[in-house]
Amino acid sequence: MADLFIPIFIAFVMIFAMIKGVDAYSAFVKGAKGALPLMASLMPFIIAMFVAVELFRNSGLSGYLCNFLSPVFKVLHIPVELCELTLIRPFSSNAAYVLLKDIYAKFGVDSYVGNCASVIVGSSDTIFYISSIYFSSTSVKKTMLTIPIALVCNVFCTIIACFCCRFI
Amino acid sequence: MSKIWIILIISSLIMMTIFSPGSVVGTMMQAAKMGISMCIEFIGIYAVWMGIMQVMDDCKLSHKLSKILSRPVQYIFGKTDEETEKNICLNIASNIIGIGSASTPFGIKAMQGLDKGETKATRAMIMLVVINSTGIQLLPTTVIGMRALAGSVSPSSILLPTIISTFLPTILGVVLVALFYRKRKTNVAKQ
Repeated sequence: MADLFIPIFIAFVMIFAMIKGVDAYSAFVKGAKGALPLMASLMPFIIAMFVAVELFRNSGLSGYLCNFLSPVFKVLHIPVELCELTLIRPFSSNAAYVLLKDIYAKFGVDSYVGNCASVIVGSSDTIFYISSIYFSSTSVKKTMLTIPIALVCNVFCTIIACFCCRFI
Repeated sequence: MSKIWIILIISSLIMMTIFSPGSVVGTMMQAAKMGISMCIEFIGIYAVWMGIMQVMDDCKLSHKLSKILSRPVQYIFGKTDEETEKNICLNIASNIIGIGSASTPFGIKAMQGLDKGETKATRAMIMLVVINSTGIQLLPTTVIGMRALAGSVSPSSILLPTIISTFLPTILGVVLVALFYRKRKTNVAKQ
């Protein structure tokens, strides 16, 4: 059922374009052209974040932090293997994608841990990054309860994600 | 963001200088290499989805999607001007489709539209940032793409759990913001 959704969605878009008489081919090419400049402009940020996150992981700091937090994860029924991912996820999508790839390689894509990791990455977002760039363009200096509320939602999201994955 | 970065870098470098100074440069170069290969993988994923987005744009499907969302958006955010409302709709619509980076320009424009020159964040601003940071996604396209590349038997088996665990926290976020910050009815009346 779920496997059908995306192909049907894409097919619907294409058929709709054909009915409307829109040149889907040139539209697709036009849209796809934007991917390279977008990625090129993001590349320095991605590398800066990768360097920081890799140093954080290789220095053993993240390991200490995870050991410290593992009782909390047990109470919340979140696999301890996902500790690093849940710590990194609010900071950087790209770093989370690296960890996700590692988890796929270590535990298998279709394992429980792999599924949980996929759902966590897919359903949460980079709280700190979003609030910093969104507020940076405004006159706002005090973000009020934005970050606390977003963090509460993030923890809630992780718990639900791990719960839902038991039924896959 | 820059504060977090510098804290991560300095604390990690201190640790590594004490325990394994030889691996610092190697780690950094390895990280850069990983970053580049990730970028190349993402160019492909983004190209396909941005292509499909453009097709949707050209046949006015994305416009229709933002129209469907306009009512709930008005309900949640209160009254805003038309341009800001459109930007909020497009921001949420592209989030739902799963291209976070496409939604960011709309989100920033919407934030500027909501900006009244105050130093404290307003209710609508907090709402927009909280909704964005709970990552409302109907199609987690990037993750599904990565699962497919990693050889998953069923890359989109995570679709339903993802939808559940993205919408429930979003609802929680909206409720929390609504609880802490009342809609400013007087302002709405003036507009």
